[in-house]
Amino acid sequence: MQRRTRIVTFAAMGAVAIMGATVASAQSTLDIVKERGHLRCQVGPPSAGYYNLDSDGNWYGLDVSVCQAVAAAIFGDITKMEIQSVSSQARFTALANGESDMLSRTATHTLTRDTQLGIDFLSPNFYDGQGFTVRRDSGITSALELKGAKVCVTTGTTTELNLTDFSRTNELGISNVTFEDYNVRDDTYLNGGCDAVTGDKSSMAGNIASFPVPAEHMILPETLSKEPLASAVRHGDNQWADIVRWSIFALINAEELGITQANVEEMRGSSKDPNVLRMLGAEGNLNEGLGLKKDWAYNIIKSVGNYGEIYEAYMGHGELGIGIDRAGSLNALWTNGGLMYSPPMR
Amino acid sequence: MAIITATKTPDRAAPLGERSVIGWIHKNLFSSWFNAILTLLTGYLVFITVTGVFNWGFTDATFVAENRRACYDNSLTGACWAGVIDWLDNIFYGRYPRDQIWRINVGAVLLVLWMAPLWMGRVKGKVLVGTGVVVFYPFLAGYLFSGGDKGLFMQVMVSGAIVALIANTANMLTGVLWGEFLPDFVLRVLGKSTAPDKTQRNILLALLFVVFTAVFVWQLSWTVEFVSWTKWGGLFLTMVISGIGIASSLPGGILLALGRRSKLTVVRVLCVAFIEVFRSVPLITVLFMATTMFPLFMPEGFVLNKLVQVIIAVILFNACYMAETVRAGLQAIPKGQYEAAHTIGLGYWRTTGLIIMPQALKHMIPNIVGSFIGLLKDTTLVSIIGLFDILGMLRSISKDMPWLGLHKEPLIFGAFLFFVLCFSMSKYSRHLEVKLSAGDQH
Repeated sequence: MQRRTRIVTFAAMGAVAIMGATVASAQSTLDIVKERGHLRCQVGPPSAGYYNLDSDGNWYGLDVSVCQAVAAAIFGDITKMEIQSVSSQARFTALANGESDMLSRTATHTLTRDTQLGIDFLSPNFYDGQGFTVRRDSGITSALELKGAKVCVTTGTTTELNLTDFSRTNELGISNVTFEDYNVRDDTYLNGGCDAVTGDKSSMAGNIASFPVPAEHMILPETLSKEPLASAVRHGDNQWADIVRWSIFALINAEELGITQANVEEMRGSSKDPNVLRMLGAEGNLNEGLGLKKDWAYNIIKSVGNYGEIYEAYMGHGELGIGIDRAGSLNALWTNGGLMYSPPMR
Repeated sequence: MAIITATKTPDRAAPLGERSVIGWIHKNLFSSWFNAILTLLTGYLVFITVTGVFNWGFTDATFVAENRRACYDNSLTGACWAGVIDWLDNIFYGRYPRDQIWRINVGAVLLVLWMAPLWMGRVKGKVLVGTGVVVFYPFLAGYLFSGGDKGLFMQVMVSGAIVALIANTANMLTGVLWGEFLPDFVLRVLGKSTAPDKTQRNILLALLFVVFTAVFVWQLSWTVEFVSWTKWGGLFLTMVISGIGIASSLPGGILLALGRRSKLTVVRVLCVAFIEVFRSVPLITVLFMATTMFPLFMPEGFVLNKLVQVIIAVILFNACYMAETVRAGLQAIPKGQYEAAHTIGLGYWRTTGLIIMPQALKHMIPNIVGSFIGLLKDTTLVSIIGLFDILGMLRSISKDMPWLGLHKEPLIFGAFLFFVLCFSMSKYSRHLEVKLSAGDQH
């Protein structure tokens, strides 16, 4: 089944690559979205931290907030947005064929994807990387000590390939125990079926939090791969790409300037910093190039908060957060040694 | 010398070993030492399985908790049903707005009300009842579920559906109370003869017109809030897809099967090609084609409704399987039946409709219901293309932060729901078979 769907997907992607140029045409995406009255933002099947359903049927998560930010920038209203949950096999096709206006999900930005699928990746909103989870009482403190270990991994992803590469490079002789479903993978690990689990560090942090006794497990410091998770839009509509890109930059820039959901009103009125005034639309005309209203960035921060607030809520230690420390990670602001950096907004 | 008595010797009771419980146990479970060991071993296995499942699912289980951590705090070895209970609305109704859920419930109740006469022996006009459900219910339910402004067409159809429902319910009452068909009852109350003639028909039509007008005016006074199909989900969505699939694939299958046996070459070739193409690809491929490839061929900005695409794909796919089932049934009818029908002067359609199909369909019931059950279960594939049907919802529980990693309990609950649905369909088909074959028992 899985294999067949993949063949279909590749066929679809081929078709998209050919048609990519023709799909992006006459009407601009911004006009289409405005005319329709809501943004269609693509995420994946629920994934902890990034996009989840709550028991009342509402979406929440880091990537959902990015979708809301773009909706706020365009309409000033985060409810004018429809979340589309698309399986990973169909994700790029659904964007390229015009079903989705943008994609904000755990998609790693790679050269092939950027150049061959008729889509463009924008700036990352999360830097992930592959790592290992082990039991604390195993005494293992580094991935290099996993000699001859059995490692649980989900199949058919780059995760599995990275694991094999890592094992070969370091001559560890790791044996892969593969699973289709990550819940089964974790159960096997918990019941002693393997010595370690490998996967994206962010999702593993969430999984550990869901184990019966989280304190018995830990993530090893090594990172096997670079996973910049970025939003993407269709190739060929630069204005639309600018809107999405700068909506994300606005989140990061607001954090840097100390603008929060709570104080954005006050900052727009009384701040002395021209950077703040320009960004929030009290001065200058940053909005004109984007084709948005003057208060676009103000609306973003007013509705969803700045990047730090979103991170804390869903990836950090908020009530719905999966509990990944931000300090010292790649996702900290550049001023704190991380990679979150917005070009100047002027 | 023969001993002959006029009275019969009384029957002796069967030996104790044949009729007592201990005798039965001895004979069936402990007939030899080897069987005795097997019995004990099996008994032990059954015992530990049952107690294990019972302890996990009930004794040690948590039914009320804020989140999964609280479940663990309560018991590390028991099930955490609290998550499933917390998500019940999502599981049954999907993302449907919580204050509008009553509409789905009303829709379900109306369907039961509409179908109920079909099970009542005294009610007359069952064919009309069945046709009414198939023709009118979809419009009423469709509007109830999606809402928004009614166009003129929907206004007429909704009114028609309500009138049909009123007539249906009245017919049920007259049937149950007096064993009478509704039109006969109306005419009797009005003091007219029930013999068919034009005046009687005109009276009934006039009455129908009055009721329709009243309903039409009444329905102008209300609308229900628009709910986008993207918010449909859970068991509700599963039932919508499989319900429409079931209701449409049988007629579609019958037409395709007749087409395949047709003497007209073009019709036959088209039907064969259609059936063979759809039967040769997996359902998931059809679904992907319908939702992913189809939009590529459409003009830009074309309004896409994934749900409609999925339903059409499911109908086409299952109609092909149904066609083959129906064809098998048709082939089982002896040639003599066709010849006899021709002899009494019936044409193609009447031969098929009155002689062949009723016999063929009766023989096909087990296979048809088998396909329906298969269809119901196959609809879970739509969760792969991003619709949150019941399986999609059950799998999402394990990603919701409060219930992160909770995946066994939801799936077990889902299995239970599916078992109830499929088993009742299967029991109903057995019941139908027995009922319809009553005439065959010589």
